[in-house]
Amino acid sequence: MPAATYLELEKKYGLQPLPDSVMRLTQLVARQNADLDQIGKLISTDPVLSQRLLRAANPRAASEEDYSATTVEEALMRTGVACVLLLAMSTPLADALLKTFQTMLGWKLVGCRPGTLEALTGQHVACKIGFAGKANGEVYLRLSANTARLIAAGILGLPPEALTNDAEVDDTMGELLNICTGNFKSNLCDAGLECKLQPPQVRRTSETEDELADGGGRERMAFQAPNVNLFVNLHVNPFNE
Amino acid sequence: MPIKILSVDDSRTIRLIVGRTLRPFDCVLIEAGNGEEGLAAAAREKPDLILLDVTMPVMDGVTMLTQLRETPELKATPVIMLTAESGRENVLHIARLGVRDYLVKPFKEEQLLEKIGKVVSLVKKETAALPAAA
Repeated sequence: MPAATYLELEKKYGLQPLPDSVMRLTQLVARQNADLDQIGKLISTDPVLSQRLLRAANPRAASEEDYSATTVEEALMRTGVACVLLLAMSTPLADALLKTFQTMLGWKLVGCRPGTLEALTGQHVACKIGFAGKANGEVYLRLSANTARLIAAGILGLPPEALTNDAEVDDTMGELLNICTGNFKSNLCDAGLECKLQPPQVRRTSETEDELADGGGRERMAFQAPNVNLFVNLHVNPFNE
Repeated sequence: MPIKILSVDDSRTIRLIVGRTLRPFDCVLIEAGNGEEGLAAAAREKPDLILLDVTMPVMDGVTMLTQLRETPELKATPVIMLTAESGRENVLHIARLGVRDYLVKPFKEEQLLEKIGKVVSLVKKETAALPAAA
């Protein structure tokens, strides 16, 4: 019997592929020689990607009316390909996070500007997973200890007050980030950026800034649901040949 | 005799979720934290089904699956992959090694039950005692 194709397996197992525009954008960026025209045309076909690029190109604007770069072309001229790499990679990460919360908790997270959420102060939970290969970087998830307890309780099907052990909460948060990042990593591999994940690290800390490698880029994202604020940073280091 | 299901995952959280999902059913859940422990548990317990993660320390799920398929007394054991790994190359490679199904994390408990139910017959535990005869 001939071996099944991926499309047949995708149907058989119910796997969900990335949106085509995101996949093509990641493939373009992975080639490292795509020109801005090609990238701009591709981004213009996807309203969500266009919106995110414009937001990245107008970091101080409080709303769309304040944008000084108003077209995808202008935004690309201002941000350059490095930003597109972050944009391409952060899209599957954000999608994986939204899907994980919806599936495991039934929570509908909404993406928002990090500055619009109340900043974390004092000790909180910081989770980190590194990825290494053709794409290199780290994914950080930060949230308050109380939010972490709520999430862990939801995933484990327990009342929050039953979770008195921080280690149990931290283990669940590590697995949560592992699931999100695993999906993200699979999408990167499919786009030609083969990489492997490192084990998750979870700690309680008061430090709110993550160290960025020389020449690396950082995308700051935030998500919220009722009584829940999440801060996600994606660090992407220069390409490895 | 209850069904034996072996869950091989380095995440205690996932093993807890699998345990909670199977609790209403007449089955025995055996747990292992990596592929090496999984192979030992499979040889010892002869499970009716293995739920297998991919990325694990010590021995990953692909290596465990390869060795399982090379072991005469275990090679027919049905395996469902339960993993966040959904990259094309890995899915194709794993399918070639021989798995009954593939469930990508995150998953809903109903999805897991549906996939398990296609491989083994899950029977609910009797939860209430029969009324006493008058």
